[in-house]
Amino acid sequence: MKPWEAHRERLEGEMQAHIDLETQENIDAGMSPAEAREAAMRKFGSLLLASDQSREAWGWLGPERLWQDMRFALRGFRKNTGFTVVALLSLMLGIGASIALFSVVYGVLIAPYPYARPNQIWAPAVLGPNDAVHGWHWYSQRELDEIQKLPAFSDVMATSVKPVLLTGGINPENFYGVFLTGGAFNFLDVKPLLGRTIQPFDIGPGGEPAPVVVLSYGFWQRFFSGDPHAIGRTITLDDVPRTIIGVMPPRFGWWTSEAFWLPLRTDPKDLSGLAVIMRLAPGVTQHAAEQQLNQLNIRFAAERPSDYPKGQLRTILLNYMDITVASGDMSASLHLLFAAVGLLLLIACVNVANLQLARTTGRAREIAMRLAIGAGRARLVRQLLTESVLLSVVGGALGVLFALGATHLIVALIPPDYVPNEARIAINGWVLLFSLGVSMLTGILFGLAPALRSSRPDLVGTLKDGGGGATGSVRGRAMRSWLVVAEIALSVILLSGASLAVRGFVQLLHVDPGFQPERVLRLSVTLGPKRYPTWQQRNVLDRNLLAGIVNLPGVEAAELGNGGLPYGGWRSSYTIAGQARTDGRKVALALISSQYPQTLDIPLKHGREFTEAEMESGMRVALINESAARLWPAGEDPVGRSMQIDDLAHPPDDPQVLAAPGIAAGVTIVGVIGDTRNDGLAEAPFPAVYLPYTLYAPPERELAVRTSGDPLSLVNAVRLKARDLDKDLALGRPNTLNEVLGEETQQPRFFMALFTTFAALGLALAAIGIYSVISYNVTQRVQEIGVRMALGAKRGDILRLILLVVAKFASLGLAIGLVGSILIERLVRFQLFTRTSFGVAPLAAIVLLLAAVAGLAAWLPAARAGNLDPVTALRHEA
Amino acid sequence: MTTGELDSQLELLQGTLDLLILQTLAFGPAHGHAIARIIQQRSDEVLQVGHGSLYPALQRLLKRGLIVADDGLSENNRKARFYRLTAKGRKRLSAETSKWQRFSSAIARLLSPLPNQNP
Repeated sequence: MKPWEAHRERLEGEMQAHIDLETQENIDAGMSPAEAREAAMRKFGSLLLASDQSREAWGWLGPERLWQDMRFALRGFRKNTGFTVVALLSLMLGIGASIALFSVVYGVLIAPYPYARPNQIWAPAVLGPNDAVHGWHWYSQRELDEIQKLPAFSDVMATSVKPVLLTGGINPENFYGVFLTGGAFNFLDVKPLLGRTIQPFDIGPGGEPAPVVVLSYGFWQRFFSGDPHAIGRTITLDDVPRTIIGVMPPRFGWWTSEAFWLPLRTDPKDLSGLAVIMRLAPGVTQHAAEQQLNQLNIRFAAERPSDYPKGQLRTILLNYMDITVASGDMSASLHLLFAAVGLLLLIACVNVANLQLARTTGRAREIAMRLAIGAGRARLVRQLLTESVLLSVVGGALGVLFALGATHLIVALIPPDYVPNEARIAINGWVLLFSLGVSMLTGILFGLAPALRSSRPDLVGTLKDGGGGATGSVRGRAMRSWLVVAEIALSVILLSGASLAVRGFVQLLHVDPGFQPERVLRLSVTLGPKRYPTWQQRNVLDRNLLAGIVNLPGVEAAELGNGGLPYGGWRSSYTIAGQARTDGRKVALALISSQYPQTLDIPLKHGREFTEAEMESGMRVALINESAARLWPAGEDPVGRSMQIDDLAHPPDDPQVLAAPGIAAGVTIVGVIGDTRNDGLAEAPFPAVYLPYTLYAPPERELAVRTSGDPLSLVNAVRLKARDLDKDLALGRPNTLNEVLGEETQQPRFFMALFTTFAALGLALAAIGIYSVISYNVTQRVQEIGVRMALGAKRGDILRLILLVVAKFASLGLAIGLVGSILIERLVRFQLFTRTSFGVAPLAAIVLLLAAVAGLAAWLPAARAGNLDPVTALRHEA
Repeated sequence: MTTGELDSQLELLQGTLDLLILQTLAFGPAHGHAIARIIQQRSDEVLQVGHGSLYPALQRLLKRGLIVADDGLSENNRKARFYRLTAKGRKRLSAETSKWQRFSSAIARLLSPLPNQNP
């Protein structure tokens, strides 16, 4: 028993005893028992009032009334299952989906990095007069020194990534090691999990780096099983033993989350590119810093013209948050999802608002009745508020549960590399509060507003009115109709957005890549650069390896090179004899071996393939794709012509890459092969020039093997072949071309899956909402229908009357939704992963679907009303 | 309550009822019905206590610690709650009584004819 109940029982018992005593006295005074009791009760007055007032003295009434209200509310909800289920479902899905999605967006877009003040990190972009920003600028070491001296920056750090060979384990393995300047860890300001980070003193006065390494969490787990005693032990990287000085926490993923960080050798002669980022000195504006850096860049460009754009230079500082996360496909699709979930939350709120409005308006008579028998207005409002809050709290709790599940699901579905590897996605407290707040406010506001109105004492009118049959709730009905319009419009927008995502994805799936990705194994091979110091030695090894693999059973063709598997390698400017040189025009370069077209199954369109002799000696011959062939005027045959590839004229940036003797810019075109989607599946083919791999001998090569069976079953045979030649050759993680292509459809698939889920949820909510409100409105008019039928209206007339009204609002909603969709489509068209537009069919389907929902919602109750006996309809009290 | 009844029976002000209850209990513990009867008799039936209104007043006094309640048996052998004054209640009674007496004698002086006044 609740404490206030015990108290009440005792009080009322005592009062009853009082009345009994008085009755006894009256009987003793000669009254009849009935008279005596009546007199006693009259003398006592209202027992209930006395009881209430007594308990009020103790403050018991608050919790007691709350309990009362809650019980009453629960009874009401149980009696009104349809209302309760729809309202709770709306709240759950609306709140749950928005919390889950907002949490993802928060984790990925708003606070993805563990680094100190990531929004104050800037990266420079150097642009020519007509260039658009397309990434940051890479500086040389000497340039970095100069930049560090600029007063505009308080801190500057540089990053460089190079393949590093790990030996000493079971299998040699190739990693991308991240080389950092001495102050980099202090710039990023993240505490290590174990040991210490790289410090400025780790790079000696002569620029010589100390043999130390900081491990990523992933590397530490993989090779040391998380052993805390790993600190102080050594690993051999590029034949140098290095002491482990620290391990970073899992969220620290500066350019790698599976390798390690090393101190960068300071060597003014090293021209390889450094990614430089900086923080502005206090009080320096972005503009001022750009000005200072631009002056410097103009000088650098004069010294090193090949690495800078031509013409008047512009320097722009890009915010690190913008270039890494808030750009590209992911950010665009997350923003769209954000909008989708916003729409879903809106639909849910409209639903709840609608239901509350309908319910409370329908209860106008009950409320008037309670006022008439003496309920206080404050008490009544309190009762209605209790109901709204109870509903919202339960709905909110369900929503939070839904959000927990949905977040787990989204995290499981997120493709790798889709989000920064530092990002951690977890339910966000603020987001939770926000979504709960919005939907609860809606529930309460729309529950209370009509309650307040109906508690204004026009009791007689409302009571006579029979619950808003004909005149009473015209205002409420108009409002609900507008909410239906809004709901239909929102659903159209959400669904058409989803149809866009689905179409884009389907289009991407049907793109012909221009090659056959089935049954092709892909693997990287890295040789120890110090053990193969000459161009000749490296090419001999590559040739022997390739020859060994081609002869393996089950191999149809094999190819070795750099770039072009399947996406184009590095890009270079070029000139074609007889054509004016244009800046900014580039071709993609790929180094290939003779079986490249067979391995990828790319048809030869014209001319011939490379000969073995051309291949072995590294002659300057080239195959081009059809897009590159179109660089020549129509009717002109490029085969036999020559073109100048500017990059071939310069020595490679990386000293570990060795060029063929006598390499020069001019190449002769010997053949044309088919176009491939070498710039991503969603992009048009890029002009490509394929060169014999022997022109350059880098330590790392990519190997592609077309097999007759399962490509992965050949991995071991390839591995053994490589070990036969040199047991220290490092093989990378094997994958297949299909996997590579699959990665590209992963993002759109994820995006599409989420978007369609939200659209489906939105449609379900909207359908339920539209149905419940329209059918409610029609039911409210049953009395009016009775009057019309009594006056001679036919069943058909009634149906037409009701359907017309619904059709008016529904078509308005559809029209607004379509206009909104088209506006939004214009807005997002250039952000989506494929350039797709609405199809007529999906839009028509959406319109039909929603119209059908609205029509059915109107038809069913209208038909029921039309079948009613007019007398029953007249008596009907909704 | 209509204005007609006001002539003979004075509606009790809230504070007055509290004082009357304390005064009644000064003679010894009593249960609710007894308190009502005593107040009625002592005021020569002029002060008509709606018996029901006694109970909120009793609860107020209980909460303020001026009285306490014990379980006991009434005249007809039924369970009843007997109320008695606490020390704090006794103190409050004397304070309130003297205040009330000062107040009522002041009212009496104001309302009585002024014998020494010369026309």
